[in-house]
Amino acid sequence: MIATIKAEWRKNRFRPAFLVSSALLAALIIVVYLATWYQATHPGTSPREAVSILVLYPDQFVNLVMGAGYPVGAAIAIVLGALYAGSEYSWGTFKTMLTQHHGRITTWIGRVVIFELWMAIMTVVLFAAAAGSSLVVALFQGHAITWPALFDIAKGVATIGLVFSVNGALGMALGTLFKHSAAALGVGLVYVLALQIIVVRFIDSFNGGAYKWIGDLFDGQNASALIQTFRSAAFGPSAASSISVERAVLVLFAYLAVFLVVAAALVRQRDVT
Amino acid sequence: MENTTIVETHGLTKRYGSGVLAVDSVDMSVRRGEVYGFLGPNGAGKTTTLRMLVGLIRPTSGTATVAGHAPGNPAGLAKIGSLIESPGFYPYLSGRENMRVIADLAGVGYKRVEEVLDMVELGSRAGRKFGTYSTGMKQRLGVAAAVLKDPELLILDEPTNGLDPQGMAEMRKLIKDIGQGERTVLLSSHLLGEVEQICDRVGVISNGKLVTQSTVQALLGEKGVVVRAEPSDQASEVLTRMFGPSSVVREDGYFHLKTDPARSAEINRQLMAAGVGVSELRPFERSLEEVFFQLTGEKQGS
Repeated sequence: MIATIKAEWRKNRFRPAFLVSSALLAALIIVVYLATWYQATHPGTSPREAVSILVLYPDQFVNLVMGAGYPVGAAIAIVLGALYAGSEYSWGTFKTMLTQHHGRITTWIGRVVIFELWMAIMTVVLFAAAAGSSLVVALFQGHAITWPALFDIAKGVATIGLVFSVNGALGMALGTLFKHSAAALGVGLVYVLALQIIVVRFIDSFNGGAYKWIGDLFDGQNASALIQTFRSAAFGPSAASSISVERAVLVLFAYLAVFLVVAAALVRQRDVT
Repeated sequence: MENTTIVETHGLTKRYGSGVLAVDSVDMSVRRGEVYGFLGPNGAGKTTTLRMLVGLIRPTSGTATVAGHAPGNPAGLAKIGSLIESPGFYPYLSGRENMRVIADLAGVGYKRVEEVLDMVELGSRAGRKFGTYSTGMKQRLGVAAAVLKDPELLILDEPTNGLDPQGMAEMRKLIKDIGQGERTVLLSSHLLGEVEQICDRVGVISNGKLVTQSTVQALLGEKGVVVRAEPSDQASEVLTRMFGPSSVVREDGYFHLKTDPARSAEINRQLMAAGVGVSELRPFERSLEEVFFQLTGEKQGS
């Protein structure tokens, strides 16, 4: 097991897809800070309601990351998962791995460990970029620098990490299913950015919302519910979610487990051609 | 007593979901220390068979034992090096980094990586990204990865695919060198000359069935002498007297004699002494190509 993890790390530590995605997330959060800063200091430039500069200060950085990190971050995680699993088939490297010294499941576990490590790294990069950006805004604005409680930061990191993991695992399962990256990331992105939203809206509107509980089982609904709990007063009013935090966490972990187990079963059972 | 067979299959069969019977009841045995040629036309079932031997594909029925274990068993995999179809490496990593990834998986030290890179003459170019390698370099890196574990059994699937004539000659030499000593090499190919030059024994597969398995010599059959001489009736009389009627076959104006080519001078002398003019006299040996086409039912030059 250690050998497979070591090999996975060696081949993925400088993998361009992970490095570019991490940089992309950092750039995304910096752009969000810059745009919001401009809108907050130039009233009337925002097409929506006035933006409060308070959301940009260090004490709010965890809450701001939540909005910026999802669903764009989730989409990036799906793309990465699809590339991570699918490219092994298109490069023919999966057969090279499976003909060495380890069983299929051991090899798969090594891959999952390193993928999850990268999801954790990307989460930390996202939060670090946000913290740095909020510090710059506070220094420029001459605002007092107050950080959120460590527990709140940890909670935020865990939440985004979980959302990335679930969506990354979906990408991996699709990449394994299709044995190809392109089809997997296409289906994954359509699912998370369009299909899921349309289906949930349809279910919610059906029969006066009698089947809303079905819509609440979708991973996106639970991720949104979890993200929403980080929305503070500085961000303005928001509608309360019908899904509790505990339930959202449980449902997301269940999705994570299902995606990984399905992918592992496909790896174990199917021929590698 | 040590088992002399390193690969053994019984009724090995693979039928794909689409109904295609890729491999049909193959009974194959590869002995320790030999270079075994696995011959067959494209699409005959060679790669599918080899994939089953390393556990990448599960057989529909039948059994296989490879290096003392079932295919895909980690203990067995530790003794097998393979290059199946095309070399699979990460294009964004250098040749050396790719090899180190495999070394990590195989539990081999990085010193051995440098040894095998030098062996395939890639040592000086191992720092370049795999994606920039030529076909020949990719194939050689594939062979390097296959021998990294210093395996008991080396399975090479069409290792000269895509190589130019010089590259093919280099690869043949490399395989010959690798096959020295106690290591067993199972080499699949559709290039008959390649197999004839390298292998001790061959198995010929056609339409998924193993049609024959024997030594190259046995497959090529008896050697002989071909004679063209006039007048032919007089020549026939002399030759029949020398070798007996069953050893002389007359075909298209030629006499095919089942005899040792070392007797060519004697044949010439006897014919000349009988007043027969000899216009052609040469040793005869069936080429593996002829045997192959005969066994597989393929048409030569088609």
